[in-house]
Amino acid sequence: MDGKCSAQGWVYSALAEVCRRGPAAKATRDEVSTMLNTLLPILIFTALALAAIGAVRRMRLWRQGRPSPVNLLKGLAAMPRRYLVDLHHVVGRDKMISNTHVATAGGFVAAAVLMILVHGLGIANPLLGGLLLLASTSMFVGSLFVARRRLNPPARLSKGPWMRLPKSLMAFSLGVFLVTLPTVGLLPDGLLEGSGSWLLALVLAGVVAWGLGEMFFGMTWGGPMKHAFAGALHLAFHRRAERFSTKKGGGGRSTGLKALNLNDEAAPLGVEKPADFTWNQLLGFDACVQCGRCEAVCPAFAAGQPLNPKKLIQDMVVGMAGGSDAGYAGSPHPSQGIGGKPVGEHAGSPHGPIVALEGKTLVDADTLWSCTTCRACVEECPMMIEHVDAIVDMRRHLTLERGKTPNKGAEVLDNLIATDNPGGFDPGSRLNWAADLNLPLMADIKQVDVLLWLGDGAFDMRNQRTLRALIKVLRAAEVDFAVLGAEERDSGDVARRLGDEATFQSLAKRNIATLAQYRFLQIVTCDPHSFHVLGNEYGELGGHYEVRHHSTFIAELYDAGRLTFAPWKGGRVTYHDPCYLGRYNGEYEAPRNVLKALGIEVKEMERSGSRSRCCGGGGGAPITDIPGKQRIPDMRMNDIKESGAELVAVGCPQCAAMLEGVVDASAEVRDIAELAADALVERPAGDASGGSRRPAATTMTAEEVIV
Amino acid sequence: MPRNVKSLNGAGFSVSVLVSVGRHPLTARARRADHDARAVEMALSLNDASVQLIHAGDNDTASEEALRGYLGMGVSGVKRIEQASNADVVPALTNILRFAAPQLVLTGTRAETGEGSGLVPYLLAESLGWTVVSGLAEIESIEQGVATVLQALPRGKRRRLQVRLPAIATVDSSAPAARQSAFGPARRGELTDCAYASVIDELQTQWHIQPARKRPKRLKIVKSASARDRFKAAAAKADSGGGQLLSDVTPEQGAEAIFTLLKEEGVLR
Amino acid sequence: MSEIIRRDPRREWIARNRLHPEYANVLADMGGGGGGAVSEWQGPNGAVRKNPRAIGFIGPNGVKRIDRSGLQQGGQSAATTTAARDSRRMVTIDQPAFLVAVVPDMTGGRLSTHDKDLLGLARRLADADAERPGAVVAILFGEHKEAALGEAGIDQVVHLDDNSYAGFAPEACLAALSGVEREMAPRFWLLPDSPLGGSELGRRLAVRLGERPATQVWQVEADAHSETSWRCTARGAAGSVDITRHLPRVVLALAECAEPVSETRHAAQPVALPQPLPDVLGRLKDMGEVAVDPASVSLAEAEFILSAGNGVKDWEGYHRAAQVLGAAKGASRVAVDDGFMARDRQVGASGTWVSARVYVAVGISGAIQHLQGIQSCDKVVTINLDERCDMVKRADLAVIGDAGEILAALVARVERYREQQQENRDAA
Repeated sequence: MDGKCSAQGWVYSALAEVCRRGPAAKATRDEVSTMLNTLLPILIFTALALAAIGAVRRMRLWRQGRPSPVNLLKGLAAMPRRYLVDLHHVVGRDKMISNTHVATAGGFVAAAVLMILVHGLGIANPLLGGLLLLASTSMFVGSLFVARRRLNPPARLSKGPWMRLPKSLMAFSLGVFLVTLPTVGLLPDGLLEGSGSWLLALVLAGVVAWGLGEMFFGMTWGGPMKHAFAGALHLAFHRRAERFSTKKGGGGRSTGLKALNLNDEAAPLGVEKPADFTWNQLLGFDACVQCGRCEAVCPAFAAGQPLNPKKLIQDMVVGMAGGSDAGYAGSPHPSQGIGGKPVGEHAGSPHGPIVALEGKTLVDADTLWSCTTCRACVEECPMMIEHVDAIVDMRRHLTLERGKTPNKGAEVLDNLIATDNPGGFDPGSRLNWAADLNLPLMADIKQVDVLLWLGDGAFDMRNQRTLRALIKVLRAAEVDFAVLGAEERDSGDVARRLGDEATFQSLAKRNIATLAQYRFLQIVTCDPHSFHVLGNEYGELGGHYEVRHHSTFIAELYDAGRLTFAPWKGGRVTYHDPCYLGRYNGEYEAPRNVLKALGIEVKEMERSGSRSRCCGGGGGAPITDIPGKQRIPDMRMNDIKESGAELVAVGCPQCAAMLEGVVDASAEVRDIAELAADALVERPAGDASGGSRRPAATTMTAEEVIV
Repeated sequence: MPRNVKSLNGAGFSVSVLVSVGRHPLTARARRADHDARAVEMALSLNDASVQLIHAGDNDTASEEALRGYLGMGVSGVKRIEQASNADVVPALTNILRFAAPQLVLTGTRAETGEGSGLVPYLLAESLGWTVVSGLAEIESIEQGVATVLQALPRGKRRRLQVRLPAIATVDSSAPAARQSAFGPARRGELTDCAYASVIDELQTQWHIQPARKRPKRLKIVKSASARDRFKAAAAKADSGGGQLLSDVTPEQGAEAIFTLLKEEGVLR
Repeated sequence: MSEIIRRDPRREWIARNRLHPEYANVLADMGGGGGGAVSEWQGPNGAVRKNPRAIGFIGPNGVKRIDRSGLQQGGQSAATTTAARDSRRMVTIDQPAFLVAVVPDMTGGRLSTHDKDLLGLARRLADADAERPGAVVAILFGEHKEAALGEAGIDQVVHLDDNSYAGFAPEACLAALSGVEREMAPRFWLLPDSPLGGSELGRRLAVRLGERPATQVWQVEADAHSETSWRCTARGAAGSVDITRHLPRVVLALAECAEPVSETRHAAQPVALPQPLPDVLGRLKDMGEVAVDPASVSLAEAEFILSAGNGVKDWEGYHRAAQVLGAAKGASRVAVDDGFMARDRQVGASGTWVSARVYVAVGISGAIQHLQGIQSCDKVVTINLDERCDMVKRADLAVIGDAGEILAALVARVERYREQQQENRDAA
């Protein structure tokens, strides 16, 4: 903070100095100009050369990674749009920072290009000079805001070198501004005359050199500005190109994990050492700006579990380059009881293991197992870094190569292998709960409109209530549906998040083979995890389905006029967005529409929608069960309490189980299906044909299936 | 936990583990047999011991998957002696053990398929003239040809035994649970086939084998002269259903009720 | 009261004459001195006499009610069973046609229920042919405290009470059994298939004798086609199949393989082996038992669990109770989350699924996940403050009150019981 004040003070005094001089020593003016004109190109091109060397070195670091097919030219061409649209869509959630960045970064890019032209190549065109002045002014204004933000920075921001960045930005913009003044002839006569002019010129050159050093040299040699260089390339060569919007619109969501090729025995099973990441993943880690947005939204971090997504990404950067994490200047990985894991004790190298077999290397295993795969970090990351991919990659190594899935992980995986469900229940008893419901089986009827995917909740007594409710709703809407019954298996979600890609693929392939025997229009499930896996992750293995979450389906049925609800008479209700429905699949509206149809006005929690906080039940986190200061569901229940709601509607068996597990909970937990089933009323006879509430909504019939 | 193992002459201490193809109790899928996997775990937790896995049995895909389950624990290979499915594996195992001459043989208490009589270790010990010890919970140390082991007794009790080597030891569910079987090592591990002529178990062919019937619940036989008492005892329901609720009792009364129940159930010793 | 029985011919005469005016009073006196007439007594020549008028009571509306539930006659039926025990037939087999050898476990120096079942089976095999009965010979190792060997169906006892059989000495025992085989050549060898008891010794014996035993036998039936005229059903493949086969010479049977002997008494005649047994050079050395904390027994195996939840405030008292009761410690999720218990102690859907015979839940309200985890427990006891909670609904016995006080009382009660037992043992 002191440094910043003094830096500002220094800038002001320099300006004052410039103004105070006035018409003095004319004789030296030309000499000084000449000196600057010779010095500046040297400075600029030295910086550029150093930057180029640094860039090559940095690229060689990335190239340590495994190959990943990316269309380089297409990526580079798409980069500006990805930056301007997609990245700023994320950054734009905080308007202040967004504008600051536009001013600073836009100003810098323009100033840098113009400076090379004007000062480097000596094209002393007054128009270019004027533009350069404008650009550097914009950058300076931006850097003032950057400085203001650094006055009292929030905990999530990294300190260290990042604290000098506003000064460097100012030095660059101011220096460029001042050296450009003569070019446009705006310089008051005699400013650079007199005895102090030499000194002034040297100081100016020094300031410009500082700016150039930070902005060009630091950009490729690992300073804070590295984010611009690596970030731009990361946007261009991103591993999930489909994440970004295109001119045709669409895009914007790519959340399914990428499959391992298990047939290739030479390919590593997951990531053991930094060099096992693909090169563009390594590039992505390098793009991190250490803004700590991920840290601020991470449920594991908030719960005091030993995970800080930002630190994890920085650990990967350290590993990629080799060295220790001593230089890290942000909040550490939390640790139970004490404030955090000490920084500086972990070190790694590109070809050394990330997780030690014994002792410490780069990252401790419990850090990786703390993640709930809720994707809040990915959703928030302005640099589009894929934290969850990286974590699952490293988990794959721990599970597939080392057999070190912690706590109940091994047991759950064994159960999945032996019984096709994580609880180790008799697979034949999957439909026992519905013995009285007389559910139609796919094996009997072969062809149906809606295949109801029960999920593993079929073995859980709590979720059986939800399933019963959902079936009541489906029957009330006269939906033609059937279940797989004992033929259904776990979707493989938990196995995959725990890193057991082999078991996931085995389950997935068998499920796909089962589904291939039958004809149906769509799959409806009340489990967002199954929903995500069936819809987004089976495709790579050859299973393409139209999958709907039950809330979406109920909303559609209601819009089609096939359901009638009695008005809500209960108390205040809030809605908890399941991660795998919301952030993974972008379905925020349908559950709210159902609640609205039920006559419920949702009291939104502070963190809802895309910023919803995880219940703690995803990614196998309840299975690996890494201790923290508090439990994630307790924090979420607290959020619910703060919203003043007496009831929380959920749309996921995991969320229901986690939130119901909170002791002395202030709110009742009900699934949307249960709320809908309770509110069902007989449709008036005349309405039976289905007066659609929304004409566009389609009702499907069996005839369409045959076609 | 690694154990100190010092062999007599500095050469590596060699342990053979006899592994069989297990069967999941619910789904009947082939898997690593629970007790055998615990035996492998015990062998792997011995420091500096060279561990060799031996399997005798038929050679199909399901059993290969199951054997790979053992490899996934971090063993480099399994010696597989192919035998007909109705063969007696004792001659084949005797032969290979006599040849390999390990100091210690570990195996599960009984197989999860076939007769599952648990006789194999005893038969092997008899034919090789080795010591046999059952129900190992832990190997404490191995020094100068004598192993100090803990034998598991019911209810978590342990008995310390000294066993002269070479010995065959069986492991049951009181031994530490087997480590996770990882996919990578399981895929890489090698199955080495050795040949040995199958000796068909003739006796078994005369047996009549069917899925296990539920054993009838034993009735409390009331030796009462009165017909009414006998009828009542025969007709009485095992459980009267709803539980007993004691509220507004002193702690002593409550404790007495619990005590009576504990004593009836025979869990107080 | 004097021991001498005095007869009063006049009263007996009145008791025989139902029309006598003092009949009812005399009957009441004879029935045991209590008020009211007796309904049933033994007449002078042994026949049971009944007084139908004495049965029942006058109901609230003045109508006579007869309660046939037996509640009114509790005292008398007890008396009849005592008589029944005395009436057990004494059976002595002097010239056995063959021998059935049984090696009971003698856990704690007494015949276990498993042993008694096995002796019942041995009796069936021995008594199959009433013309040529066999004798059951039991081979006992080490000291024992069992007084009722004859009652359990043992005709002959070979008691090998030597220091070499003390503790765990399977090699010495095996040598002794080989000696018995040599000297007595029993037709059948029966051993309990119990972990670390007969299970081990039986297998050793079978291998030594070169006999292929039937293991895990749970049913034995007569079968004319069999060489041994018996066939047995045994569990195989980890209990998943039943193997029916001829009954071999060596049988390792499970508990409840037969009904224990209850109607006859036997001689339990001690016999000695004619030849002394040779000394064996043991390669197994028993170093004695090692104390293990019952709380560390894995939850899934434990047969008795004391589980603590949110309602437990006095944790020291809880741990002490678990120790005194000899119960494995369990916990609800909350107790684990709050750091009072280790994670591996958590019972429930997200923890361990337990299958204890007795599950005592202290201060656990019974979240559905927890109740799922204890589904397969036989008896559930709960100590709870809230009598409407789900755990109380599930429990076979629920005690409402302060957990700490009740546990303390239970600990005191159990300690008292242990002391009594110790005294009894010392007396015996």
